[in-house]
Amino acid sequence: MGKIILDKMAMQRALTRITYEIVEKNKGVEDLVLIGIKTRGIFLANRIADRLQQLENVTIPVGELDITNYRDDIEHDSTSSDVKMSNNKIDFSVEGKRVILVDDVLYTGRTVRAALSAVMDLGRPKSINLAVLVDRGHRELPIRADFVGKNIPSSQKEKIKVYVSEIDDKDAVELIK
Amino acid sequence: MTQRYLILEDGSAYAGKAFGSLATTTGELVANSTMNGYQEIISNQIYHNQIIVFTQTSIGNTGLAQNAYESVLPTAKGVIVREYENLATDHFKRISLDRYLKRHKIPGIYDVDTRQIRRHLQQKGNMKASIVDVADEHAFDQLHATVLTNQQVAQVATPKPYPNPDEGANVIVVDFGLKSGILRELSKRDCNITVVPWNSTSETILDLDPDGVVLSTGPGAPGNLPESVLQMIREVQTQVPLFGIGLGHELFAMANGAKISQLRVEHHGSNHPIREIITNEIFFSGQEQGYAVDSKSIDHAKLFITHIDLVNGTVQGLRHRDYPAFSVQFSPDGAPGPKDSVGLFDDFTEFMARRRDNNGDEY
Repeated sequence: MGKIILDKMAMQRALTRITYEIVEKNKGVEDLVLIGIKTRGIFLANRIADRLQQLENVTIPVGELDITNYRDDIEHDSTSSDVKMSNNKIDFSVEGKRVILVDDVLYTGRTVRAALSAVMDLGRPKSINLAVLVDRGHRELPIRADFVGKNIPSSQKEKIKVYVSEIDDKDAVELIK
Repeated sequence: MTQRYLILEDGSAYAGKAFGSLATTTGELVANSTMNGYQEIISNQIYHNQIIVFTQTSIGNTGLAQNAYESVLPTAKGVIVREYENLATDHFKRISLDRYLKRHKIPGIYDVDTRQIRRHLQQKGNMKASIVDVADEHAFDQLHATVLTNQQVAQVATPKPYPNPDEGANVIVVDFGLKSGILRELSKRDCNITVVPWNSTSETILDLDPDGVVLSTGPGAPGNLPESVLQMIREVQTQVPLFGIGLGHELFAMANGAKISQLRVEHHGSNHPIREIITNEIFFSGQEQGYAVDSKSIDHAKLFITHIDLVNGTVQGLRHRDYPAFSVQFSPDGAPGPKDSVGLFDDFTEFMARRRDNNGDEY
């Protein structure tokens, strides 16, 4: 059991802030699409889409991105034909769209790097922004988030655990020593 | 006990018994239906030049606490209660409601059917009233002849800037007659606060290098303040995160083109459910309002309506589309009332942190 950094209310507020900031920065919601990175990023992307629906009365498409094949810590067999097989659920074109990538925690930046490659393979978006619930620092790549719910400076020995009520028993962000 | 009278502009009179000061006063009559927090209510400068009727039946039964005043010098014009208790719970067992009112020259009347007065106001609308010794023709003539000031903000707001130092974000609070709860919540978040007079220019404010600016609560009609205040808001909102509360919310709305209308009956209480539109969440908060933003006048290309009062449909919150500038009509600091929405202060500090991280280049 770790220390709770964000409780249910704080998590909701963080997503609300991110939603307003997305509209602010994009000057509206035109051509906007949300892509959640598996697993918890998808639920967070859906919640942001719900908020945009409430706010602007528009349905923003939400895609689910599986970056397994793009990870740099798994040896790929380049001769195998199933390398690019993935469990993406993105039933829209990203061509010319303003893509908002959504993930729960931004840490080394390697997941996001993989997600960028995966999205680029799907088409040429007009822009890609990154929204994360938590930025915990310790980047290993030149990557930064455009929308951050909460900055949580952490030590590399600590773990940050995000719970979402859709698949976990609660909404919370915990710091585990 | 001395008999005294509350007389109303429409000719009605209520006899009761005197407590507090024996001064004769005139002010706008408002009814507050909050169940607790009489100390916070009486000391809130939003009640400047107003006579407060408490519908809660017993007032004064918790004593006054040194950490619960909303201003140092209360300027309400009277306190009307059904029943009053003279309990002191401070360290020296000295400060009871009676003593507090005497010290600040505020008259009180008890043994009055305050809920009947509330109902009367609900039917007849806002009106002036006086607390007098004799309810004769002369007293009513005096009441009718009295012109209440429309310079409330200038009368209660600080004339000079003052600091409330800490080590966090640099926050400028523009004082329109602020309640201390705002400073308390900013202090809890380590903000280094400078309170500046209501008529400060954007140049003065921005020269203090703020991370964010708060437009405080205050008494009276926003329309009584000069255009220069709206100009200040228009210039500041493009530069740093802005948070308006109460009168500050009304001014933020006006600065962005919305119109304000006076409520037929002022609303003071914490019993109205408020809906946050973006999440569809319902919560409660302390509300003290005589005016409301006219929802039809809002330019949706500029402002989002963020919160709605579910009882009377009034706009309770706004946010600018292009800047991290937002405002609420209610009191997110509680004091008194629920603290359901106190997280708005966290939102404000997060917006300030974001601006600092980005060195302001997001603007």
